[in-house]
Amino acid sequence: MVWLDEELTRRQVIRAGAAGGLALGAGGALAGCFGGDDDSANNGAPAPQAQPGDFRPGGTLRIGATGGGAEDTVDGQKPTSDPDIMRTWQLFEPLAVRNAAFTKLEMVLAESLEAEKGKADTWTVRLKPDLEFHNGKTVTADDVIFSLQRILDPKDPKVGAASIGYVDAKGLKKMDARTVRIPLKFANSSFPEDLGQYFNNIVPTDFDPKNPVGTGAFKYKSLKPGEQSTFVRFPNYWRKGEPYVDELVIIDFTEPTAKVNALVGGQVEAINNVPFSQVSSLQGNGNLKVVISETGSWQPFTMRVDADPFKDNRVRQAMRLLVDRDQMVQQVLSGQGRIANDLYAPYDDCYAKDLPQRKQDLEQAKSLLKQAGQSDLRVELVTGDIFRGVVEAAQVFAEQAKGAGVEVKVRKVDTGTFYGDNYLSWPFAQDFWATRTYLTQVAQGSLPDSPFNETHWDDKEFQSLIRQARGELDEDKRCELLKEAQKLEYDKGGYIIPYFSNSVDAHSSKIGGIQEAKSGFTLGNYQLRSVGFLK
Amino acid sequence: MLTRLILRRLALGLLTLWLVSLLVFAATLALPGDAAQAILGREATPERLAALRDQLHLDEPVVTQYLKWLGGILTGDLGNSAATQQPVSELLSDRVGNSLFLVVVSAVVAVPLSIFVGVWTAMRRDRAPDHIVSTGSLILASLPEFVIGIALILLFATEVFHAFPAVSLLGPGEKAWDDPKVVVLPAATLVLAVVPYISRIMRGSMVEVLESEYVTMATLKGLPRRTVIWRHAVPNAIVPAIQVTALQLAYLAGGVVVVEFVFSYPGIGAALVEAVGNRDMPVVQTVTMLAAGIYVGLNILADVATILVTPKLRTAAR
Repeated sequence: MVWLDEELTRRQVIRAGAAGGLALGAGGALAGCFGGDDDSANNGAPAPQAQPGDFRPGGTLRIGATGGGAEDTVDGQKPTSDPDIMRTWQLFEPLAVRNAAFTKLEMVLAESLEAEKGKADTWTVRLKPDLEFHNGKTVTADDVIFSLQRILDPKDPKVGAASIGYVDAKGLKKMDARTVRIPLKFANSSFPEDLGQYFNNIVPTDFDPKNPVGTGAFKYKSLKPGEQSTFVRFPNYWRKGEPYVDELVIIDFTEPTAKVNALVGGQVEAINNVPFSQVSSLQGNGNLKVVISETGSWQPFTMRVDADPFKDNRVRQAMRLLVDRDQMVQQVLSGQGRIANDLYAPYDDCYAKDLPQRKQDLEQAKSLLKQAGQSDLRVELVTGDIFRGVVEAAQVFAEQAKGAGVEVKVRKVDTGTFYGDNYLSWPFAQDFWATRTYLTQVAQGSLPDSPFNETHWDDKEFQSLIRQARGELDEDKRCELLKEAQKLEYDKGGYIIPYFSNSVDAHSSKIGGIQEAKSGFTLGNYQLRSVGFLK
Repeated sequence: MLTRLILRRLALGLLTLWLVSLLVFAATLALPGDAAQAILGREATPERLAALRDQLHLDEPVVTQYLKWLGGILTGDLGNSAATQQPVSELLSDRVGNSLFLVVVSAVVAVPLSIFVGVWTAMRRDRAPDHIVSTGSLILASLPEFVIGIALILLFATEVFHAFPAVSLLGPGEKAWDDPKVVVLPAATLVLAVVPYISRIMRGSMVEVLESEYVTMATLKGLPRRTVIWRHAVPNAIVPAIQVTALQLAYLAGGVVVVEFVFSYPGIGAALVEAVGNRDMPVVQTVTMLAAGIYVGLNILADVATILVTPKLRTAAR
């Protein structure tokens, strides 16, 4: 597995003290960690197949994506569907973001992002000099303050409000033209990770979503909701030489097969999220290239720890023992994934990789159910087309559960119903999550005040460990705390996490520059600025 | 008399449309979730839901929303989409044009073709060509459109030939007729879906007519074969075909939903699928009204046409 090699390089790098993902030291050391990694998108990534010299500048790049519709947006802080997210990455940039290889938080608009005086409750962000918006305006501290306040606007919270809601929006302070002081409502060593996400984009103070202006490699040209959007090259982009193509068209498809057909028929140059069942047929096509990325994306079964029958931890444990993970990877993902251990954040430096791999054990499951008085357990599993493979996973799970006499009734609903009034309160359902670091993920789904705590996980010991870890700037000490927290989730949590799924892109062999991305963001972190037509 | 009949039919048609709108409204109501939940999906936090509901005016009771929509449609105002707040007319105008173009192209090809095939096979009744065509049309008729569509894509767009686009992509501001290539495969799918029905009915009634005494008489009188067929037989055989054609064309208005989905054709079908997913009541209502309107309208037209080509009925109506 490639990512193991990655892991090694990363460790060596951290040991050398040159750079690091979550390698937070106190005070001044932080500048070294988070600052000064200018244009280093390719650090740690597998050697790209194409080099800049291989490209012929110009041309129109057409990309096919699934999802989206009448509600399509080009507001950089409000993306929801996959095409929205793809558009957002082209037009806007955040202060920092995890690189495609997920080895470190890479500074984008920020030059540095540091905790003040070794305390994790006040942070200072310093912008790179001479950054320019599409309309020619220079990016200043005012734009940063405006952007954060716009995200946190209590009357109209944007996507990022769920990730950095603990920022004291009123206390944001401009120190000079390029520096902003960011006070938090509580100490959080994970703040750079929470802030450094694609939806926390920087927009100018006079932002107009109808005519969106950002700092991204492409400028907005047009948007036809549900059909397509067009962008043109931003000549003054700060990463010199990029982007390579003159025009970029992102096309919405309602259905993945249509997207694949468009690629094979030559109507688009690249697509993302290739259905797993079609991977081998595309690999056999000489005009196409397939890019397979292992990721930390996970699609859990979610058991509510406060609802019957899952209230009883023995039932949860039994449910986790019903899963034949290898079979699931084969049947659900056509082999495009790797087994998981009911834990998330596999690329976090503090991932609890020493906990024993859970395997199917029907006898143990039966005995646990018997102890819990649930020998003839019947449960309803709510599923829907919320992510590729999810419905199939539900069906395979129901089959596997039969082995221990557990009857799982799969109830498939449409997505509108899934996310309707019962969203986050289904007793037994499914969900999908992107690759994140452990603490960022915990903030999203594992605390009582997390916006998406679908398992209703509410464990005092766990919360105390997380609180301590957030205040801890020493990496080793923090890892100890996080490993203990993961042990608790492993023993008592409400997630069944059978696998981490790959993401698969495919593109015409006429173009190059699409890299693998462990981040789970397709097309190499949607990095279309690095894609060009080959000479 | 004919005018009165048409007026009566029109009134009944409007009543049907109103009932359809009620049914669709009830069905939309029965779907759990609202537009804000559908749009935000898994990102829905209570705060963001509240903000979006406010922006989309979803706080009004649904019955009020329906009455507003009904009042609006009577005055020619289709209202605003619940998902985007854009006027529905603006949202759908291009798509209605594209879908109508697709249906009209299909109908213009399918109707004469089916009549020709029907007549041609009737004249070769129980001979090899008749058997071949009949088996072929039975197979086609039993295949769902999406299978036909996918087969056409494999054959003409991706695997065998690269003659036509696999998906119907249109640039910003482009209409289907600006780039007629995108219509070829979707229209061919619809043609293959309806021709078997119309041609079989045409064949059946043609066979009957060909056996009738007046055709024998005309032949015995020494009229040329062509005159016998096209002057005397076809006009009498066509009545049942008109009814089936109307039903099939009306079916096209709904069948486009599936075909547009397969080809990602930017028409009302795709808009309807999406609007249902978004719980976008005004758009769902408008599209279903349009489809139902076409259905009702074509049925009225077929009845009128039947009366006009049937002397017995024509005189009775007078």
